[in-house]
Amino acid sequence: MRGPTIIKAEDDKTRQLNKHTLMAFSGEAGDTVQFAEYIQANIQLYTMRNDTELSPSAVSSFVRGELARSLRSRSPYTVNLLLGGMDPITEKPHLYWVDYLASLAPVPYAAHGYAQFYCLSILDKHHNPNISLDEGIKLLGMCTDELKRRLPIDYKGVLVKVVTKEGVKVVDFDNDRIVRSA
Amino acid sequence: MTSLMDHPSRGETIGYSFSQPTAAPVKEHSFYPYTDNGGSTLGITGSDFAILAGDTRSTSGYNINSRMVPKVFKIGGDDETGEGAHILLSVVGFAADGNALKERLDTVVKMYKYQHGKSMSVGACAQRLSTILYQKRFFPYYVHAILAGLDEEGKGALYSYDPVGSYEREQCRAAGAASSLIMPFLDNQVNFKNQYIPGSGEGHALEPKKAEPLPQETVKQLVRDAFTSAVERHIEVGDHLQVMIITKDGVEEVYHPLKKD
Amino acid sequence: MDKLVAQYSRPSHQNEFYSEQEQQDLSESTPPLSLKFNLPPVDNSSAFLRAMTDDHSNPSCPIKLAHGTTTLSFRFQGGIIVCTDSRATAGNWIASQTVKKVIPVSRLSRGEDKPTNEPTPGLLGTMAGGAADCQYWLRYLSQQCTLHEIRHKRRITVAAASKILANLTYAYKGYGLSMGTMLAGMTPQEGPALYYIDSDGTRLPGNLFCVGSGQTFAYGVLDAEYRYDLTEREALDLGRRAILAAMHRDAYSGGFINLYHVKEEGWVHHGFDDMNPIFWKTKLDHGEFSNVTSEL
Repeated sequence: MRGPTIIKAEDDKTRQLNKHTLMAFSGEAGDTVQFAEYIQANIQLYTMRNDTELSPSAVSSFVRGELARSLRSRSPYTVNLLLGGMDPITEKPHLYWVDYLASLAPVPYAAHGYAQFYCLSILDKHHNPNISLDEGIKLLGMCTDELKRRLPIDYKGVLVKVVTKEGVKVVDFDNDRIVRSA
Repeated sequence: MTSLMDHPSRGETIGYSFSQPTAAPVKEHSFYPYTDNGGSTLGITGSDFAILAGDTRSTSGYNINSRMVPKVFKIGGDDETGEGAHILLSVVGFAADGNALKERLDTVVKMYKYQHGKSMSVGACAQRLSTILYQKRFFPYYVHAILAGLDEEGKGALYSYDPVGSYEREQCRAAGAASSLIMPFLDNQVNFKNQYIPGSGEGHALEPKKAEPLPQETVKQLVRDAFTSAVERHIEVGDHLQVMIITKDGVEEVYHPLKKD
Repeated sequence: MDKLVAQYSRPSHQNEFYSEQEQQDLSESTPPLSLKFNLPPVDNSSAFLRAMTDDHSNPSCPIKLAHGTTTLSFRFQGGIIVCTDSRATAGNWIASQTVKKVIPVSRLSRGEDKPTNEPTPGLLGTMAGGAADCQYWLRYLSQQCTLHEIRHKRRITVAAASKILANLTYAYKGYGLSMGTMLAGMTPQEGPALYYIDSDGTRLPGNLFCVGSGQTFAYGVLDAEYRYDLTEREALDLGRRAILAAMHRDAYSGGFINLYHVKEEGWVHHGFDDMNPIFWKTKLDHGEFSNVTSEL
């Protein structure tokens, strides 16, 4: 977005930090990508230097620390983040919600911005930790359907990536379904 | 619906023979017709009585103006003695508005009696008070009112109001400066909120204790405890505690001393 | 200047006690639900009101009014479900947890909430925004509906009743009223009818509305599973669950779940239930609310 114009409809707002962690971001134009790629580079540097991967919880602590440091600088980054990852050792999935004020919370599901108001109640009802990938995609569909129905803006679809113990991959997602409200 | 058009539109309440300069608004940001005179009130009902209580301190800012300004009034009784009253009203907030409100309601209740030859029921009086408050929706009375009496079945009735007249019948209510100190105490001691029957189950199966009307002596003690505690933690509460109890035999009024610092 | 002169040149006895008009008002036998309101002696009365009462723009305002809510209502094949929370807030203070936000509007059921299983004829109104505004104007509407019933010997349609209310809120637009209300009812002419009316003067017929600070959360749950051919049981459960979702996520909503069903013969009350046991039952029996956990 720039003024009233959408510059690009299919922008990838995620960066892969290491094999098992993915970070999604939103916020101030410029800040978002700069911060994400800074984090990405540093995590990769760590992986190369130590020949080992940081766990999602370690990554989340690093990201939060960097954001907190930036917050107390002259020009802080205004970025909201969602950090998803698979711990390669315990093989347990982790999700972290991080906002631009460097609050960090481990959660089973999360959203930023207006999407929170619509999606969290759906997730409260339909999520449980044992769902399969297919069910997860269906649940995501319920959320995007609700956003299409009620959000006053057209966000031009979503890009879906999934983190498994094999790594990160893009999942096909039907963005063209037309949703009607009651 | 026609009376909608009778509204004096803003700024032309007086008829002018010449046109008024419409621009150049008068500086009015300093118009502030309210002050908070502090104090707190509290009401609790039982199966055959209702209690209204309030402290008698009157403050403005950090000054104590008086130590004896009662906040609980008898409504519809004799002008001097209050004899014959069957409804109680407590007002806390801006004392001048409170007095005006009391006078209004008192007049209405008396008029009702003269015209209908019977006294107004508490339910009717409660709704009338709501409309009186709402008449000043756009220039509110700065008061929190509580109304008490006995309903048609002889049970204690208590109605609480916000400044513009939304009202609700309740078992107990605290209003005013120390309401946030007293109300949680009342929730626990009158409605038994967060109290469970010991041994009735484990965890979520634990049965909550059912609230039922309390005997008069217990309620009186609760009222005194609520105020002695509020005095310890709020600067605008103190001096005397005025308690009015309404039963089928009439209204009883007593004063208790509170700390004077 | 003229204003000042006019103000002080009246004989002083006229300023004493009640004016003739006020005395008239006081002695009238029926309390007038009148449309005459006292206005503050300033040029811009709504700005004055805002300065005194608007908690949002001025957190230190002296007069805190009761606010905050989630209410929902939807049509389905078996009638209309109306469901609300029961919390009233004044700033951060929870002023009450036992507010009745569903208000019966009609002559036959005026103000009564009898614990009966018999349907009570009449309309239902919901309350969101200023508590006093909703209570007062729905009371006024009740009066108008009664008059309509007496004049025309039949019950008012929901369309007509909602129009009375919408015309009113539109007449007071800009004065600072705050209300978002839904009117639900069933009449022989219309069948099940549902209208949304707010203090901007909006009036909309529709199948499904959620109003209040928790509306988005209720919409989330409701939209996902709403169908017109819901059974009565499903509809009641969905309404209750949507309010529960809003109570859980919206701090300004909470307390008790107040549930109503409007049928052909009238409305039926389906309970005023504490949300806490319902929440834990929902969580433990259905495995929902997985964010509520003791583990990290």
